[in-house]
Amino acid sequence: MRIESGGVSDVGLVRTNNEDCYRIVAPLNLFVLSDGMGGEAHGEIASSLAVETVVKYCVEAADKPSLQMFGETQATSSSKTRLLSNAIHLANKKVFESAQGHAEQHGMGATLTAAWIAEETLSVAHVGDSRVYLLRSGGLHQLTNDHSLVAEQVRRGVLTAVEAECSDMQSVLLRALGTQQEIEIEATEHPLFPRDILLLCSDGLTRMVTEPEIAGTLQAETDPAKAAEKLVVLAKDNGGADNITVIVVRLEPQANGWLSWLRRGARKDAGANGSAGGNSDG
Amino acid sequence: MAKLSLMFQEKLVKEVPVGSRPVGIGRAPDNDLAVDNLAVSNHHARVYFEAGKLVVEDLDSLNGTFVNDMRIERVTLRDGDKIHIGKHHIKVDATGDAPVPWASDRKVAAPRINETMVLDTKERRSMLQQAAALGERTQFASGRITVPTLIILAGNTDRKEYTLTNKLTVIGKSRMATVRLKGWFRPQMAAQINQRDDGYYLGPGAKVPTVNGKPVIGQVRLNHGDLIDVCGVRLNFIIRD
Repeated sequence: MRIESGGVSDVGLVRTNNEDCYRIVAPLNLFVLSDGMGGEAHGEIASSLAVETVVKYCVEAADKPSLQMFGETQATSSSKTRLLSNAIHLANKKVFESAQGHAEQHGMGATLTAAWIAEETLSVAHVGDSRVYLLRSGGLHQLTNDHSLVAEQVRRGVLTAVEAECSDMQSVLLRALGTQQEIEIEATEHPLFPRDILLLCSDGLTRMVTEPEIAGTLQAETDPAKAAEKLVVLAKDNGGADNITVIVVRLEPQANGWLSWLRRGARKDAGANGSAGGNSDG
Repeated sequence: MAKLSLMFQEKLVKEVPVGSRPVGIGRAPDNDLAVDNLAVSNHHARVYFEAGKLVVEDLDSLNGTFVNDMRIERVTLRDGDKIHIGKHHIKVDATGDAPVPWASDRKVAAPRINETMVLDTKERRSMLQQAAALGERTQFASGRITVPTLIILAGNTDRKEYTLTNKLTVIGKSRMATVRLKGWFRPQMAAQINQRDDGYYLGPGAKVPTVNGKPVIGQVRLNHGDLIDVCGVRLNFIIRD
């Protein structure tokens, strides 16, 4: 499969600094996003330290396949998923140590959401309330659980999904990088199919833009970078109360064989119509 | 800013502002208003803002919560109301409804919108306990462990029964599908089930599945006992305790 991607990070309309951070490592098909927290500039320190640590670890691991593993890993998951979990364990350690070592950084932390595509398998590792979505066959599926108080209450049946959206406790996280020495990481694997679209985003998008709006934008705009930009514009149109960070990844069928050539031709027409509709909206 | 004044025999014991976080009232020391009296339950009641209104809610206390001498479960408060708990009472000052951001009592430099914060272990435990208590009272299955399961009633698949443990369960011929379809002309990905916070949702893939005979348009929340048909395979969705 051919993989195309694009990302945007925006400060939003209310805040004065951007505490979000993202990296796309195209040669590895690795996508990392983090939303920092903490007073002053410390959210920015936490999120960039977390992202850089994960990226560095994964790049080194890709160079050295025999890299030693540490931390707890599940035997059932693939090596990429385990590497990603390890990378996040390490990032947690670094952010935690930095926060402990500098009194003014006390209380800083970050979410971290990473996706790594190897052949037809997607590895996702995640802590916090940033999200990974998969758009497939017109349906938008969230692949991560929010580690927030309201999401946990919905899972326990205490709140309904609608009540959770209105709650003023939405910013209360149960897990984040850098707040504790050891951290529980949610790591999952998913098969991927041609024409799947992945979205990684911070809560600045999902609190401002509804899922149907997100799905519509991803379907209408076939260029990943432009789709990411349009999502950010939507979030700002709806208030832009927080930093907004978006990574869009598209999986296209490999361009070989006459059958795929025929299919691609047909889809190109459909795509052109779709993006024209998207442009007239914006 | 709204505030609560805890009084004992007309003497002020403690005063707390009501922000975006609920004010816990009870005998346990982790309450914002800790009332040291045996007539008061550990987590007796709480006061919070909901849709701009100040609300008091009894947390199933043994001796009850009273507002202006009426026993209540949950009621909107007005300025000047008196909440009676045990031998204490709480004066309600509801002037200035705007909830202060939760972080404001944590010495953050400037108040900011939607400041993200992480609960430490103790806070987390007490809030989840509160949530669980609430869940039990409203008859939700908070303490039960439920296992969503697909049982194959007809058709050719690699197993007869599947426990849904993934966020996204793929039904199809793909070697990575959870429910693997066998036979000719089966799509790689026929349909999929997404686990959301509030339940399991079936959505189409290359095929449009039906639930209890109705075609699935968009995504449909699955209920215990639903019959799913896709690609000549019939599946029964059940939730086991």
